[in-house]
Amino acid sequence: MAKSNDIGQDDVSQVVILLDVNPYFWGRKSIESGSSGLTFNQFMQSVVLFVNSILLLNNLNEAAVVAFGTRSCRFVFNSKLQGRNDKLHSSPSSRLLKHIDEFLNTEDALPTSMEQTNINESSLLSGALSLALCYIQRTLKSGQPHPQPRVLCLQCKSDAPQQYVAIMNAVFSAQRSMIPIDTCAVGTEHSAFLQQAAHITGGIYMKPSMPEGIFQYLTVVFATDLHSRRFLQLPRPAGVDFRASCFCHKKTIDMGYICSVCLSIFCKKRSSCSTCGANFSQRQPTSIGLKRKSATITLS
Amino acid sequence: MPKVKFVAQDFMGMVANLPAIKVDILYESHWTCQAVFRSLPPIAKMYVLRLLYIDSVVKGKVIDEWITPEFQSKHRIAIDKLEQLRVLLTSEGGREQSYKLNPRFQKQLRQALASGGVSPRDSLSSSIAIRLPSLAELDSYAMKQWEGVLLQLVSTAFPESAHDVSSDRFVIETFQKAKLLDSGLKLTEAGFQFLLMDTSYQLWQIVREYISSAEDRGINNVELIRFLLELGFHVVGQPYNRDTLTNTEETVLEELKVLGLVQLQQGMKHRWFIPTKLVTNLAISLSEASSRYQSEGFIVVETNFRLYAYTSSKLQIQILRLFARIEYLLPNLTVGTLNRESVQNAFASGISAEQIITFLQQNAHPHVAKRQPSVPETVCDQIRLWETDSKRVKFVPACYYDDFPSKEIFEKVCMFARDRNGLLWEDSSKKIVMVQADLHEEIRSIIRQQSSYKR
Repeated sequence: MAKSNDIGQDDVSQVVILLDVNPYFWGRKSIESGSSGLTFNQFMQSVVLFVNSILLLNNLNEAAVVAFGTRSCRFVFNSKLQGRNDKLHSSPSSRLLKHIDEFLNTEDALPTSMEQTNINESSLLSGALSLALCYIQRTLKSGQPHPQPRVLCLQCKSDAPQQYVAIMNAVFSAQRSMIPIDTCAVGTEHSAFLQQAAHITGGIYMKPSMPEGIFQYLTVVFATDLHSRRFLQLPRPAGVDFRASCFCHKKTIDMGYICSVCLSIFCKKRSSCSTCGANFSQRQPTSIGLKRKSATITLS
Repeated sequence: MPKVKFVAQDFMGMVANLPAIKVDILYESHWTCQAVFRSLPPIAKMYVLRLLYIDSVVKGKVIDEWITPEFQSKHRIAIDKLEQLRVLLTSEGGREQSYKLNPRFQKQLRQALASGGVSPRDSLSSSIAIRLPSLAELDSYAMKQWEGVLLQLVSTAFPESAHDVSSDRFVIETFQKAKLLDSGLKLTEAGFQFLLMDTSYQLWQIVREYISSAEDRGINNVELIRFLLELGFHVVGQPYNRDTLTNTEETVLEELKVLGLVQLQQGMKHRWFIPTKLVTNLAISLSEASSRYQSEGFIVVETNFRLYAYTSSKLQIQILRLFARIEYLLPNLTVGTLNRESVQNAFASGISAEQIITFLQQNAHPHVAKRQPSVPETVCDQIRLWETDSKRVKFVPACYYDDFPSKEIFEKVCMFARDRNGLLWEDSSKKIVMVQADLHEEIRSIIRQQSSYKR
């Protein structure tokens, strides 16, 4: 991050919010819990209020929202583009809601390829993350004074192990360009991916114990700009689940085999690495090529 | 050295000084609430956001735990600021102190959050769009108006070059009230310093005087502050209808036009105003750490004390005249030199060396601005030396003691003061001593101790 290009003020921030609008999650939730618990409407209201409060905090603040479902992801809102095409009267919140609506409709209409019909319910977090990082990179490299960027990821559905490699690549590139990724697991389970993402990039991970009050969580924790984070008490990670997914069957594993050449992870012993093609010699079965990896580490 | 400096009071300092009833009236509008909110220090903003949707009273202890212990001072500053602005109300329930957001402020800010980002009034339909100035035109209009205002100030300093400057009574009066001009229409020390400040600071100075003199002209200052704050939320370059404004707002608008904050236009049916970027500049300068509105620099200073200014603006040439001797005037270039005489002239009118140097640095031409330092060090040093030339007397606050009961006590005091490097002057025959003022308390206790001991 080029410090010299910072805007003079300390607390100017650019927040890219990744929004999980997975219909499987929200649909099932409304069936299971009826009217109790967090509904999609409440969730959207909180997000709209949150975007508004980010914009209210400083007149130079920027906010963008990326919505992601099961098959696609797209920018649905960007405060910088108060388009000349949009009517000036329409408020940002109504624009955001309108575009979310459009997004849901187009996703619904996307053709499902034959292979994917066997239910792929997980949300496309990796795509949304990449999209957000690309957008931030563009503003960082524009050469103009830019606000301090950060990503806020609101994931509802549980982790999708098949996206492990893609998500981790995105997370490491965020770490390189010093963009913190804040993560919030809105669903019922803790998310290992989100924990790792926040831990690696220096963001905050949180799983609200009362999802109905998500707005208060958002404003108290995630609205805090990077400057104020040095001064305020914020939730600290209780422990991070560092388990990885294997490259062969995309399963989350505690113990596995790791290629000594390219560090690919496998759940079963193999004669050659499927990623880099390294051939593990059979003559030395004491596994010079393959090492056991123990991967359950908990940070306290 | 006596440093004549402006009180760096900002817009919100002014709000904080208003009586409580007036502040409450201000918080009736959610635009002012938003402006006040944005002007707060970052941590204070977080506190307000955290408390925004909490209706009950929150204990002080809870809020104190929000900050990490090593930054307590920042916490106090934030809380004090919130209390000054009456955003946070304290109540002494039992033994503990507890806080609550000002209910009016809370209500309005919630509403602002819910409506989010719309402008205070609708812009006019696009039917008049053809007649609207482009953003560049609007900028140059604003700058022209603003330079015109400053030229009126400068022209009083150099009457010989002021044949074609029309003066506006309202502007001159405001300058006089701000003590930039004295009653004889002569530029004061403050006035000279004012000219070297950056635009947002100058603008704020003028607006501040304008607000504080509003009462005398029969304008309600609360309404004026509200309108000015609201104006900051309008979109630059969009036309807004004037027919919906109140009478007060109309008068204010006419005067803001003179300052270049708005452009007024008239059509067949409607009359409208267009905010310029100076308005947003004003809104930004509200916050403490103002990001400066930067215009392109134009000055190149060489090590041989030559000064090249790529400008044709009359105002800028006049400002240069304050401290440099102008040698040539070319269509787009002015050449001058900095010499002892010209700089001493500037000191005589109350400008300090630092102010000259910052002015040269801030307005450095893009080509030299990249260099470190942008103004040659020899030049900076020489300007500072010239200043110390003229200021050989140093002022130190001091206390004067005489009439000592005995020689011993007198010598004790002298010894003590000498040990602390605070002895300024002594006369042992008359038993008179001068000591730096900050040692006064200790010396008093010594004298008291000694004389009681005697008895």
